[in-house]
Amino acid sequence: MSRRFLVRALAMAHKELMHILRDPQMLGFALLMPVMLILLFGFAVSFDVENLPLALVDQDRTPASRKLTEAFTASKTFEIVARLDEPSEAETLFRSGAARAALVIPAGFERASLHGPEAVAQLLVDGADNTTATVALGYANAVALSSSQQAIVRAVGSFAPPIDARVRTFFNPALRSAIFLVPGLMVMVLTMLAVMLTALTVAREYERGSMEQLFATPVGRVEIILGKLGPYFFIGQVQVLLVLTMGVGIFEVPVRGSLVAVFVLASVFLLAMLMQGLFISVMTRNQMLASQLAAISTFLPALLLSGFIFPIDSMPPPLKIIATILPPRYLVHGLRAILLRGVPLSEIVADIVPMFVFFAVLLVAATKRFKREVA
Amino acid sequence: MSGEHVIDVTGLTKRFGAFTAVDGVDFDVARGEIFGYLGANGAGKSTTIRMLCGLLAPSEGHATVAGADIARSPERVKRAIGYMSQRFSLYLDLSVEENLRFFAGAYGLSGARREARVGAALALANLSDRRTTVTRELPGGLRQRLALASALLHEPSIVFLDEPTAGVDPAARRDFWRVIRDLARGGTTVFVTTHHLDEAEYCARVGLMVDGRLVALDTPSGLKRTHVPGAMWAVECEAGPRAIRAALEDVEGVVEIEPFGRRAHVRVRGELEDSRRFEVLVAAHCNAGSLRGAHIEKVEATLEDVFLALVGDTRGGPT
Repeated sequence: MSRRFLVRALAMAHKELMHILRDPQMLGFALLMPVMLILLFGFAVSFDVENLPLALVDQDRTPASRKLTEAFTASKTFEIVARLDEPSEAETLFRSGAARAALVIPAGFERASLHGPEAVAQLLVDGADNTTATVALGYANAVALSSSQQAIVRAVGSFAPPIDARVRTFFNPALRSAIFLVPGLMVMVLTMLAVMLTALTVAREYERGSMEQLFATPVGRVEIILGKLGPYFFIGQVQVLLVLTMGVGIFEVPVRGSLVAVFVLASVFLLAMLMQGLFISVMTRNQMLASQLAAISTFLPALLLSGFIFPIDSMPPPLKIIATILPPRYLVHGLRAILLRGVPLSEIVADIVPMFVFFAVLLVAATKRFKREVA
Repeated sequence: MSGEHVIDVTGLTKRFGAFTAVDGVDFDVARGEIFGYLGANGAGKSTTIRMLCGLLAPSEGHATVAGADIARSPERVKRAIGYMSQRFSLYLDLSVEENLRFFAGAYGLSGARREARVGAALALANLSDRRTTVTRELPGGLRQRLALASALLHEPSIVFLDEPTAGVDPAARRDFWRVIRDLARGGTTVFVTTHHLDEAEYCARVGLMVDGRLVALDTPSGLKRTHVPGAMWAVECEAGPRAIRAALEDVEGVVEIEPFGRRAHVRVRGELEDSRRFEVLVAAHCNAGSLRGAHIEKVEATLEDVFLALVGDTRGGPT
């Protein structure tokens, strides 16, 4: 009996492989998409704020005002795009989007900084872009603080702040957002592609009428599902390899842990996502509907509920529960742990188990819902 | 009949909501018999076949196929039968041989036996020299042969063929029926649905489905004897079938007049079954002028006549 099972499941897998090989477009799509998506998202998604267009309104024109300006332009964060005479002109530039921030140094800035009571410089920020504004404000505060310290040192001779926080960033010393984001991005790309791979396969057989023929043979439901899973699992592995190579090669994501751990983690994830695709296919029996559901059920959860961008800990409870059920968050967490922190396989078991449970539950559910009746 | 029933059906019923697709059907099929199932589209033929193949659970009634209860052990049924569905359902993107290999595997065949059976199927379908052809490129008749060969890979004792010759040209249909008769001679039981009435003549017995009910079941000649008794005369005259009906309708012994192209089939009982008596009758009307130049020919009743007698020509019958 079990030999027959194997013969039938292998026949199923072989047939599925032939379908894939007969359809070079589909295969090309499956292998090109990860490369395209990683490139597209990898260069677009970044939290590193650079070259913010800054309008300078220097009404003081003194060494002190030039020094403050230099402090703002020393890093790549700001780039001076205009030099204006009046602060009111800055608003026009904000409206057109030509400038995102304006540094206003009023006349008398130097005098005030040397003789008190206080020197006031003003930073105008375009608050419509919240991320940029936050970064600009943080940068401005830092500049103001360090300029103040220097001024105190000049005046008093020496200065030690009562509390000196010395921050050292582990694993990503330059705080490059790519290192943090690219593993999450890899997860998003893999989620979308893996579910899409299998979402159409069962629905296609229903629509073409071959499912009825299959059901008239002794082939079992589990044999059909496992047979269909097999070939796509290998395509999925190739996608993992492509995505990983791109992340490491182009975005300089480090590989501090073992590749074996990555392989194990990714394999369980693939099984879970391919199973989600099959489940959708079995439930809908309709290719159109299946592809829509595949897109909806992967893109948003992988983007929003995976911890890829937004921390899951700060989500409202219902979303937290959904995020806890779905596999993407575990791959995001596990990949970051292995790649960035060099954590061994034994320490990501907590990420592997929930994904496997997801796979097993969907396997059982799909098998149960897989009606042998064809009305 | 040999008395050994390989299909046994009692009170088989299938309801889809309020609609009764198959309504209390009873019949049995003997080993090696070609059993024809006849009826219009939607009469319940495919639903009956699907139940017998273990694809649909019956709402009521019992059936055993090859000794297995279709409701309780559909998996045993599936191992014993071959099924060719109405819609061509092999994989169009796979080659002839790939399709056969896959279905052989699906039936659990492996190793040398699988090779041998695939070879035999290629021979049966007459496709040995086109094994690498992609199925999409095969003409309709060959596709049907391939589908049949694939349903026979595991040497089932019963095959169910649902409208196997739909959309196939007449020459290919004749070839196809030659294969079916060879199968039956080899001891395979063939259960076939069709709406080609000429094909039903090849069947040992024919069941006629109307609106989910089996209204008649007999050998083709038995059906004709029972439902189209008497003799049948084809009459042709210049004035056409309407004139023939007008002239002969009320004559005693005339049972039925059906227009048949330019002729009319006149069914008679009693004395008029004798050709001379009938000729005298028509000749009398010839002289009266209504049936000028009438020509008479004796015709055998066809299953189409049976069908019309049972269903009436108001209903959309088989073609």
